[in-house]
Amino acid sequence: MIKHYFKTAWRNLLRQRSNSIINVAGLSIGMAAALLIFLWVKNEFSFDNYHKDADKIYRVKNYLTVNKTDTWIWENSPYLLGDDAKQQIPEVLNVCRTRPFGYGTQYFNIKGEFYPEEACVYVDEEWFNVFDYQFTAGSAAAFNKHPFSLILTETKAKKYFGNENPLGRIIKIDTLNYEVQGVVKDNPVNSSFQYNVLIPLAARMANPRNKTNDESWENFNYQTFLRLMPFAGKDKVAKKLEDIITKQRDNENLKIGLIALKDLRFENDLQSSVIQHSNIKVVYIFMLLGILLLLIACINYVNLTTARATLRAKEVSIRKIIGAEKKQLFAQFIAESVLISIISLAVTFCLVQLLLPVFNRFTDTDFTLSFTSPGLWIIAGGTLLVTILLTGIYPAILLSSFKPLSIFRGINILQIKDGALRKGLVIVQFTISIVLIVGTIVIYRQLQFISNQNSAYNRSQILSVAVPYKIWGKYEEEKRKSLLGSFKKALLDQHNIVDVSLMMTESILNMESSSSGNNIDWDGREKDFTPTISFFHVDTSFKGIVNLEMIAGRWYQPWNTADVHNAVLNETAVRELGIRKPVVGQRFVSRGDTGVIIGVVKDFYYKSLHEKIGPVVIKTFDVNNSMFLIKTEPGKIKEAQEAAEKVWKDFFPEEPYASGFLDEEFDKLYRADNKASALIWGFSIIAIFISCLGLFGLAAFTAQKRNKEIGIRKILGASITNIVSLLSREFVYMVLLSMLIAFPVAWFAMNSWLENFAYRINIAWWIFLTAAVLSLTIAIITVSIQAIKAAVANPVKSLKTE
Amino acid sequence: MNTGNNRTFLLKDINLSIKEGEFISIMGPSGSGKSTLLNVIGMLDEFNEGEYNFMHESVHKLKEKQRAALYKQYIGFVFQAYHLIDELTVYENIETPLIYQDIKSSERKAMVADILDRFNIVGKKDLFPTQLSGGQQQLVGIARALIAKPRLLLADEPTGNLNSKQGEEIMNLFSELNKDGVAIIQVTHSEKNAAYGSRIINLLDGRVEH
Repeated sequence: MIKHYFKTAWRNLLRQRSNSIINVAGLSIGMAAALLIFLWVKNEFSFDNYHKDADKIYRVKNYLTVNKTDTWIWENSPYLLGDDAKQQIPEVLNVCRTRPFGYGTQYFNIKGEFYPEEACVYVDEEWFNVFDYQFTAGSAAAFNKHPFSLILTETKAKKYFGNENPLGRIIKIDTLNYEVQGVVKDNPVNSSFQYNVLIPLAARMANPRNKTNDESWENFNYQTFLRLMPFAGKDKVAKKLEDIITKQRDNENLKIGLIALKDLRFENDLQSSVIQHSNIKVVYIFMLLGILLLLIACINYVNLTTARATLRAKEVSIRKIIGAEKKQLFAQFIAESVLISIISLAVTFCLVQLLLPVFNRFTDTDFTLSFTSPGLWIIAGGTLLVTILLTGIYPAILLSSFKPLSIFRGINILQIKDGALRKGLVIVQFTISIVLIVGTIVIYRQLQFISNQNSAYNRSQILSVAVPYKIWGKYEEEKRKSLLGSFKKALLDQHNIVDVSLMMTESILNMESSSSGNNIDWDGREKDFTPTISFFHVDTSFKGIVNLEMIAGRWYQPWNTADVHNAVLNETAVRELGIRKPVVGQRFVSRGDTGVIIGVVKDFYYKSLHEKIGPVVIKTFDVNNSMFLIKTEPGKIKEAQEAAEKVWKDFFPEEPYASGFLDEEFDKLYRADNKASALIWGFSIIAIFISCLGLFGLAAFTAQKRNKEIGIRKILGASITNIVSLLSREFVYMVLLSMLIAFPVAWFAMNSWLENFAYRINIAWWIFLTAAVLSLTIAIITVSIQAIKAAVANPVKSLKTE
Repeated sequence: MNTGNNRTFLLKDINLSIKEGEFISIMGPSGSGKSTLLNVIGMLDEFNEGEYNFMHESVHKLKEKQRAALYKQYIGFVFQAYHLIDELTVYENIETPLIYQDIKSSERKAMVADILDRFNIVGKKDLFPTQLSGGQQQLVGIARALIAKPRLLLADEPTGNLNSKQGEEIMNLFSELNKDGVAIIQVTHSEKNAAYGSRIINLLDGRVEH
């Protein structure tokens, strides 16, 4: 019986070839998109749960109240908190800690060759007891035994040592030699810890200065993980941690919480983090997108199949008369959708295989289509099942339901009954597509807005170079000044370099550090008002390089030695701190250093546009100034870059030269947004394509069904335009109706997306107009192809075949 | 049947009793209700008034499902336009009713082979309906109607689309079948074909003419 069903189904597919191709194409494109999305979503939700004790591992989270309104949330804790937790809290089975090996890029010296390395951390001896790693060489025991050890991932080991045995090999970082004691399998894509190089914390603590610094209860430098006993209440443990730290710090401004390892991926309230986090909202949005794309694809199948029901009616009637029961016919039509879905799934696998490299690049992941993994089959099976249910049930019910004789009598109950439903489904498809079009435009505009906002200066012409601490840290203030000063002068001597500024901040595009406290003071400040302020330490050239605009007072003067104590504020600082008028000339104490406010600059962006501009204080010189902003001659970027490198080699021959253009840094800052934008763009194209495929099929069918009518009308004198508009009108109405539904939905959705940005565009009316014109044009073109074909056909021919 | 406020009788005052093994021809002009009568007998159409007893069952009292079961077991249909399923081969067309009756595959094979042999169409079994002539198609249609061994064959103008030679062959086949004990009721326009039957019923405007 089942064989019979599939045989008939197969023959039907072959007979209606173009119809089947549209069905398979639509379904497999939709399924491929959905499958990719679901793979990604599954990966997001499976973060860090591969560790054996994942459900018992927590990370300490610190909530520091800095003033009445601000709480800073940190992922790092004081080093000693871990020790005390282990000793004093019985529920804590293990404690492990990690901190970055250094900030920024490290340079590995292997036999005199320098290799840049980003993901490098210290871990303590308990790290491998808490987290699961698979060693392919060496062991954790060997790693812990000697402080100057190193563990590499397989990829890194291969990169540095090729096929040679990496164990025992030496890597020099700065002045110290580290010996490779182990190689671990590469980090799974669903791991928050994408560290490629691990070094024992003991190596850091071997330096007494580091040890003293880290053992202060005021320094929060260590991500601290706890493995708890089963059923230990995490809030109870957090309270005990809080008691410990409050006693040690003798201050009650700190609250402690614990976050489960599995929730780490979606942690989004931290002030800054070394781990890459994901936004759970985005994950849900993409999950919804996947479902919608699948839905659009299934709608095509339902529409085309039910539209063709009239053609199938004869067959169904005969089958009923010669003895088929309803459930047998039902099974036959389900078999058809099963067959189509399975064929589509096969095509889907090919598509996914093809698209994976692109998709991996976009999502920064490394998915492979492994047919042995149960996860893939669960997702694929789920998608298949949903597809079969969506595509199978309604057409099967409809087709198996009608009375055998009515078809012979020429009464067509179908046309009246499900025409409305079919239209409804087309409207659903187009609504989704139009929402996506609007979304794409809004996202694109917002990202453009972002890149234009910082355009007071040309990012692609500004180079940043930092001189590492180890070069100047050993000198006293005067020596530093003269060393870095002459370096700056040497840079300025290069004729492709326009200007150079010496400053101190990790980035002028994404300044994360800020200060708060009682050592910042001004006249009129209330005693308990200690706002969070970002400090920029720059030199006099800074203003010219980033084109700061003064709105009051003056900028720093090179000859004015008193300026070292003075301050320049941004507009927000003046407003939020409540500086008395006249602003210029007011007393201002920054970190204990008393001076006056000499000027106010217009607000400028120094953080991602997701965040609001806060109060900024710009100071001239700080002993730690060591970063250079280099403005290059327009069109001479490469030459300037080479000149700067040459100067660097002259000054610091031992040190690798590392510079970056601000536009690269900028792109990095908005990478997640750009990626989301690209993905949404891709998915809207897919949605529109599938919808048009369905529309195309439906239009073809309508034209075919009205063949005779078209013939008669032409004989009666209708022009081609008349006929085309006759056939297209209905579809145009459907798209218009879709707009009515789509626009409010899109407006609402995009407004809530924009709320993620502190600075955002308005959703203008022309965006909707563009979407309207675009979708209507695409729909009309699609339908017209069929309509014109029908309209130009010779009427005599179409009437003859009737 | 009701159309609007007017009650129209498609069939009225028909008293018929048909014995097992009879061969009846129904004649009458277009619109006289021949096909409707045939459909009522075949239980494909419902009726609002009156009684219909088929092999000791009161059809008018049966539910739709029971009625369907009854006609599937005892009645075979032959149509003027053959109504074969285009996607299936000759063999599969004939086999389909057996599939719907859950008959085992080996048994089905034997039954279909049997009837192909009897109708002399073994050579055509793998062809599709569109590859056959009208007469051959009708032969397949009759083979399909007979495969489940019905007691009654209903034929709605079985020769209507055929030329006279093909028509004659079909009528001869009907006579033979009738001799083997299958009751036949056919609707026809042709006096000549009607004569094959043992009794002729003339219909006019839904009534039997005596």
